[in-house]
Amino acid sequence: MEEKEFILQLLNPKTQNNAFQKLLTDYKRPLYNHIRNIVLDHDDTNDVLQNTFIKVFQNLNNFKGESKLYSWMYRIATNESITFINKKAKLSSKTSQELKSKIVENLEADIHFDGNAIQIKLQKAILTLPEKQQLVFKMRYFEEIKYQEMSTILGTSVGALKASYHLAVKKIEIFMTKD
Amino acid sequence: MNEFKINKENKITSGFTTPEGYFDDFSIDTNNRIILPKSRIKVISINKKRWVTSVAAVLIIVLSITFFTKMEVSNSDDNVLMENYITNNSEISQYDLITLLDNKDIENLSVELNLNDPKMDEEFDNTNEIEFYLTE
Repeated sequence: MEEKEFILQLLNPKTQNNAFQKLLTDYKRPLYNHIRNIVLDHDDTNDVLQNTFIKVFQNLNNFKGESKLYSWMYRIATNESITFINKKAKLSSKTSQELKSKIVENLEADIHFDGNAIQIKLQKAILTLPEKQQLVFKMRYFEEIKYQEMSTILGTSVGALKASYHLAVKKIEIFMTKD
Repeated sequence: MNEFKINKENKITSGFTTPEGYFDDFSIDTNNRIILPKSRIKVISINKKRWVTSVAAVLIIVLSITFFTKMEVSNSDDNVLMENYITNNSEISQYDLITLLDNKDIENLSVELNLNDPKMDEEFDNTNEIEFYLTE
């Protein structure tokens, strides 16, 4: 189905319900992973994911089809996640970086994390990166999003994204090599 | 020490998991939050009904003013009615009243009657109906 046709179905009250179910089925898992990689905690991810779908639904009329539905939804999810983590950090009088460090420190006790020592070390390595590099690394390495798509989601050129990922990988390899 | 090379290592996953059945529950929860409120529950706009509320409020105020004014008038009527009722239907007998009088009350009452007044004697002498008063 053409994307334009699908968007029309989403906007038409008669077909809206079915079209939205398809949107939920197609996007809930990838968007969950994307949000979880940013906010780290499962319950927080659930809240942000719900808010994301609600925002998508409420703003469908404003979606002009200039970008792909996929990029538009990822952009909303990214903004919602960053806003959420900043708000949560502010509430506990921490920086978002300090908050994420605390969550990563407690990953072993998290019932929704079954990673081993290397996975925890990788999360710690990511935290040493600047925020934008963290996001680029996670989207490329864990989510395997193509640079072209990432470019439309984050509004950054493909070249800049590649450079950012390259730098991130270098720093992570140094961190991972250390004891 | 082995140098860590991200492209040479096996892919490292994030390690994040979800509770069992989470994604099915998620669809249900999200549908309840999005689809149901929009299409099945009829939302009545407060703005559209605002004039009805205003008229109702004015009516209540006007009716309450009339009601309370009437209440005051009927209150004074009630007092008269109540007095009459007590007078006519009271179970308090003369004997009950007497028991309530103390010595001081009795003294006050006796002051009113001066039986040794000479004017009174004179009046009795000149009146033929004295016998009537005595027998009454």
